[in-house]
Amino acid sequence: MTTTHHATDETLMRYAAGTLAPAPAIVVRAHLASCPACRARVGEYEALGGALLEETEATQMSATALSDVLAMLDDEDAAAPFTPPPRAPVEIEGIRLPDALRGCDIGRWRWIGPGMKMSRVGVPQDPHANLILLKVGPGRALPDHGHVGTEFTYIVSGSYTDRFGTFGPGDLAEMDEDVDHQPVVDNGDDCICLAAMEGKMRFNNLIGRMLQPIFGI
Amino acid sequence: MNEASNPVESNHKPGLQTGRRLAVVSSRDKQQTPSPDALVEMMRQVAQDRDRQAFALLFRYFGPKLKTFFLRWTLSSVAADDLVQETMLTVWRKASYFDAERAGVATWIFTVARNIRIDHLRRQKDPSALPPDAETAMDTVEDGMLDAERDAAVRNALTALSPEQQTIIRLAYFSERSQTEIADELGIPLGTVKSRTRLAMNRLRGLLEDKS
Ligand SMILES: [Zn+2]
Repeated sequence: MTTTHHATDETLMRYAAGTLAPAPAIVVRAHLASCPACRARVGEYEALGGALLEETEATQMSATALSDVLAMLDDEDAAAPFTPPPRAPVEIEGIRLPDALRGCDIGRWRWIGPGMKMSRVGVPQDPHANLILLKVGPGRALPDHGHVGTEFTYIVSGSYTDRFGTFGPGDLAEMDEDVDHQPVVDNGDDCICLAAMEGKMRFNNLIGRMLQPIFGI
Repeated sequence: MNEASNPVESNHKPGLQTGRRLAVVSSRDKQQTPSPDALVEMMRQVAQDRDRQAFALLFRYFGPKLKTFFLRWTLSSVAADDLVQETMLTVWRKASYFDAERAGVATWIFTVARNIRIDHLRRQKDPSALPPDAETAMDTVEDGMLDAERDAAVRNALTALSPEQQTIIRLAYFSERSQTEIADELGIPLGTVKSRTRLAMNRLRGLLEDKS
């Protein structure tokens, strides 16, 4: 999978730092799985986190901090060795979704307009997260909207085109709040994408207004 | 996607298991600063020999620094102590996953602390959430993309930034605020926040790409 649209460096840095909100972090993680270039950058920003840690000043810990932990090591060693749990693929109605959605609550597709279905994704880390899956038919426009805060969209399958280019599987679109864009799904297959909003969305057309109650605006 | 590619065996490298004495760069400070190689050797002793003395050395060096990190992440002093302990327990538990070819010790411990904090925030929001082991705490260092030499390059790049640029970088690591919120708080236009951030990021990228 060749990706042509990437995350910004600021986003990758916040991802590596763990300060990106949970929903955008899931979308970025989906992109990282298919993008070695962005993974390399995340690696650099993790190293930067390590450098910040080494140069940071010390803060005195409680007097028993170390002895408490050393006492806990006995329990640790008595416990069963760490084994990663088995991992089932993530799907929606038979369609394979990015592993980044593991642990999320994925509902069924809901009809939201002609040729357009949506599933709201529950994020355990953040009950108020705005994370959705969209499935839009060929030739159809995605909901026309602006947004407060940045919008992160990962293309699961199919493709769409807007004034910034064509976005295909594995690509990440990061749109600032001041950007109004009108993506249209390319001919061929449905376009399935995973979208997270940092802030609330505002919609400009009828379908958009139908979505608003879903986002609790 | 990370754990399987980072087996215990990868820690068995020639030169790392000769049991050489820990090199200490500076012995003048009460808080001694171990060299990167010395830290790797401590990790090896923890992973392979389950050496508590080596673990205690790592705890004394990183614990108080990690506490500063957790405090900057706006946690109380008590919570910070707890999370440092949780971080270091995870270091003990998962020491065999550390691979010196992929990351320096400080970088690896940073990612462990980062994941502990993410899990802490999640448990605050959803007390029924799974314990950290099952989910995010496993996603340490992105696979195959790090090496210890890069850590030195990154450290040098950080010090080459101007104080203002370093502040912008630190905001990314310690603040969850978006650029919009930062602009509001500082009372400066969003465009200014964006252009300053972009400048700092470009400068950092330039420094990193020069050195790699
Ligand atoms: Zn990328």
